[in-house]
Amino acid sequence: MALLEINNLSIAVASQGQLLPVVTDCSFSVAAHETLGVVGESGCGKSLTALAIMGLLEGSQVNITSGSIVFDGRDLLQLRPAQRRAIMGNQMAMVFQEPMTSLNPVYRIGEQITEVLQQHRKITHRESRQRALELLDLVKIPHPQDRIDSYPHQLSGGQRQRVMIAIAMACEPALLIADEPTTALDVTVQKEVLDLMLDLQTRTGTSIILISHDLGVIAETCDEVAVMYRGRIIEKATTASLFANMAHPYTRGLLASIPTIDTDNDWLQAIPGRVPGIDEKVNGCPFHPRCAHTETPCTQTAPRLIDTHPHHAVRCHFAGEI
Amino acid sequence: MTLRTTIAAVFRGRKLAALGAVWLCIITVAAIGAQFIAPFDPLEIDPIARLSEPGLPYLFGTDHFGRDTFSRAVYGARMALIIGIGSVLVALICGGLIGLLSAYFSTLGHFLMRIIDVLMAFPALLLALVLMTLLERSVINTVIVIGIVYATTTARIFFGMTLKLKNEVFIDAARCSGAGHGSILFRHILPNLWSPLLVQASFIFAFAQLQAAALDFLGLGLPPEVASWGNMLAEEKIYITRAPWLLMFPGALIILSVFSMNLVGDAMRDSIDPRFKNDIAGI
Amino acid sequence: MLGYTLKRLLTLIPTLLVASILIFLFVHLIPGDPASILLGDSATPEEIASLSAHMGLDRPLWQQYLVWFKNVLHGDFGQSIFFKTPVLEVIADGAETSICLALMTMFWIVLIGIPVGIVSASFHGSWVDQITSGGAMLLASIPTFWLGLYLILIFSVGLGWFPSSGFPSISDEGGLSNLRYLILPSLTLAAPNAALIVRLVRASMLDVSREDHVRTARAKGLHPARVSIKHVFRNALIAVAAAFGFTFAALVSEAVVTETVFSLPGIGRLVVQSILRRDYPVIQGVILLIVLLYLVINLLVDLAYARLDPRVSLQ
Ligand SMILES: Nc1ncnc2c1ncn2[C@@H]1O[C@H](COP(=O)(O)OP(=O)(O)OP(=O)(O)O)[C@@H](O)[C@H]1O
Ligand SMILES: [Mg+2]
Repeated sequence: MALLEINNLSIAVASQGQLLPVVTDCSFSVAAHETLGVVGESGCGKSLTALAIMGLLEGSQVNITSGSIVFDGRDLLQLRPAQRRAIMGNQMAMVFQEPMTSLNPVYRIGEQITEVLQQHRKITHRESRQRALELLDLVKIPHPQDRIDSYPHQLSGGQRQRVMIAIAMACEPALLIADEPTTALDVTVQKEVLDLMLDLQTRTGTSIILISHDLGVIAETCDEVAVMYRGRIIEKATTASLFANMAHPYTRGLLASIPTIDTDNDWLQAIPGRVPGIDEKVNGCPFHPRCAHTETPCTQTAPRLIDTHPHHAVRCHFAGEI
Repeated sequence: MTLRTTIAAVFRGRKLAALGAVWLCIITVAAIGAQFIAPFDPLEIDPIARLSEPGLPYLFGTDHFGRDTFSRAVYGARMALIIGIGSVLVALICGGLIGLLSAYFSTLGHFLMRIIDVLMAFPALLLALVLMTLLERSVINTVIVIGIVYATTTARIFFGMTLKLKNEVFIDAARCSGAGHGSILFRHILPNLWSPLLVQASFIFAFAQLQAAALDFLGLGLPPEVASWGNMLAEEKIYITRAPWLLMFPGALIILSVFSMNLVGDAMRDSIDPRFKNDIAGI
Repeated sequence: MLGYTLKRLLTLIPTLLVASILIFLFVHLIPGDPASILLGDSATPEEIASLSAHMGLDRPLWQQYLVWFKNVLHGDFGQSIFFKTPVLEVIADGAETSICLALMTMFWIVLIGIPVGIVSASFHGSWVDQITSGGAMLLASIPTFWLGLYLILIFSVGLGWFPSSGFPSISDEGGLSNLRYLILPSLTLAAPNAALIVRLVRASMLDVSREDHVRTARAKGLHPARVSIKHVFRNALIAVAAAFGFTFAALVSEAVVTETVFSLPGIGRLVVQSILRRDYPVIQGVILLIVLLYLVINLLVDLAYARLDPRVSLQ
């Protein structure tokens, strides 16, 4: 059985008395010890899906409108808040997109790591500090003894993200959600941080949901991939199958937009047009205004997710044909 | 955006603030039409009906001279409006200009802002008290003094906001296309500050009411014969045990008006440029 | 830290100098001649002139200022025209009342204002928030003296729980129990200021709660109350501390009114009475001391600020 199973998850934003759907009918699962990649352009609902899984949407304008999130056999949406909190930071942890601002500026980093340990483990102050030192060493922060008493503003962006990873890994979670952990970092640091996470995964056997808008990164690191467009999963496959039988025009566009040395293709050239805003309504296939293969059915009915190969599903009227 | 959609956006989901705005409209109507609304002359004395209880013909009762409290309260609305609008104008014009110019011309600004800082070390009421003793007790002087007191804070706020705008790209663009200082200040910077200015004005209006009432109470505000809410409280305070309702009406009027203005200011603050939100000195 | 403090103290000097000139000018522009006020209506012009000369009031203004300022530097604020005793003594007489009043007021503000602000922000948008933050705004819209008068009417005259006016020294008979004289005044004075603190704590906490690190704290599985206090409030405290200087200035203004309503023998009432009596030396002395106090408090606020926010370094 899968560690995490998302069934028909829909998320909507309450805005001026209206509910605008931002994630629609998403289903995917993550097996134990595996890595799932989630790709898509900015604003397609990746972060909201991740926050929904973590349970961090409560108290905001954004609400889960339907679906279930089954983690380790329990539907998280049915749990009481206290039960939910016992999982957060413990069996399930998250690394955020914004390393510069995700640490509390007024506490030393040691304090911020031990806090999560003391929340979930019966542990003395001294033991938790010892564990924090080990964790800093694990995430390859040089001189943990000195760094443990630093404040976040004294660290670089890459170091802060490492500290965030240390906090996330502190209780050895079964699932780590990494929401574009490297987007805000220097290119040189990006690879180090990714390698660090994969290294930790082999040591602890954590499952990872890696969110990115870079198919190249996904190709290198993930077992399975889900491609999102405007809040919907439009293609879902094992990594091998995805790259072998890439079916959706949007996924192909994403692939074409990976910068390579000899061609300086970029985003805008690869997929023409822009993502419509969440308050704009598009009939038929949500991608059709930007698609090069649009035909009559595309503008009229929304396609369903259909299996084209084993472990490979596509949401396109012409999957397999184009 | 039209005026109507702006107003709708400010008051959407804020029933209390909308009620506050309605109350302020009522006050304005009372102030303008005081002579038609008030049943008696506010200075007319009825010696046999001193300290009479609320009822008929004296809706809110009478004071210790036997003057009709309701009529005085209606004329008090006029005074409240004059004090509020007057001190807002003085504060915004003096303070706004000082702040704007100080931020724009840094040498001058350095000097002016030091003076403003020194003045801000004087608690508002103390400054007002000392200034009032320099001047005759009159409506216009009270307005000027309260305006000057709030000009200091206003100058500081404008200084901060103008500094934020001064280095924006569109200002550079205007400068490059040959716009003069005056044009940059008043055609490019000031229009961006209109809405925070309006929010600040509503808070100054509210503070000014309280400040004026305190001056009246200490005997250093409006001339005693003027029918203002503050004077009504000041004159009747010793009768509070004999006629507890006497101070209720003018007090409630001040509280409602200040509260309404604060509510409106608070609602407007939420709809302005978030960069300026924390610059506003309000409640 | 010490170096910074010394440097800041040095920068106070020009500010104080300008302030002293302003105060001196303001006070001397007040119409009314102290010599004639002092001697009363029956005095002859010759008597007034000779007293003026004796008090140095006939010299040019700048000379009078220099004499006054030189004396102030020596700790001599001159003689009160009304009390005929040194100004510093007159002020010292009022100090006990004002300090006790200020401390009790601060006690209420911290005890009520901060927790209510935290509750208001934590239940943002709910009826609890609407009642507490709306109530705070209503409280801040009440004229201080009006509130004081009705508190007296209800709790002194009506119920007889507290005395309505005056304040015997706590060194007199009754000792600390004399502080009951200050309960109503301190509540009156605390009301608008606590309301400001509620609004301030609430607004800063709402600002902080939108920051990314609060999401990190929630992702750790911490209890919402713990997130509110340890993470949100702790960061909001930085902004609250920064605004404390203004709170002090507001407190002094309201204290002037409150002490007058409750006839407290404090410095606030002294100012008002001295202004009405044209007692120049006392007005000058008190205002100068209040300005000094304001500047010192702002310096302390800056030091506290640096302690609260590790990103700020003092130099
Ligand atoms: N709190 C919110 N209130 C209103 N709309 C929101 C909120 N959070 C997100 N949205 C909207 O929901 C959509 C999805 O946002 P989300 O953050 O999940 O995008 P994303 O895929 O993570 O993008 P990025 O790659 O930029 O991180 C966006 O259009 C965004 O504008
Ligand atoms: Mg995102």
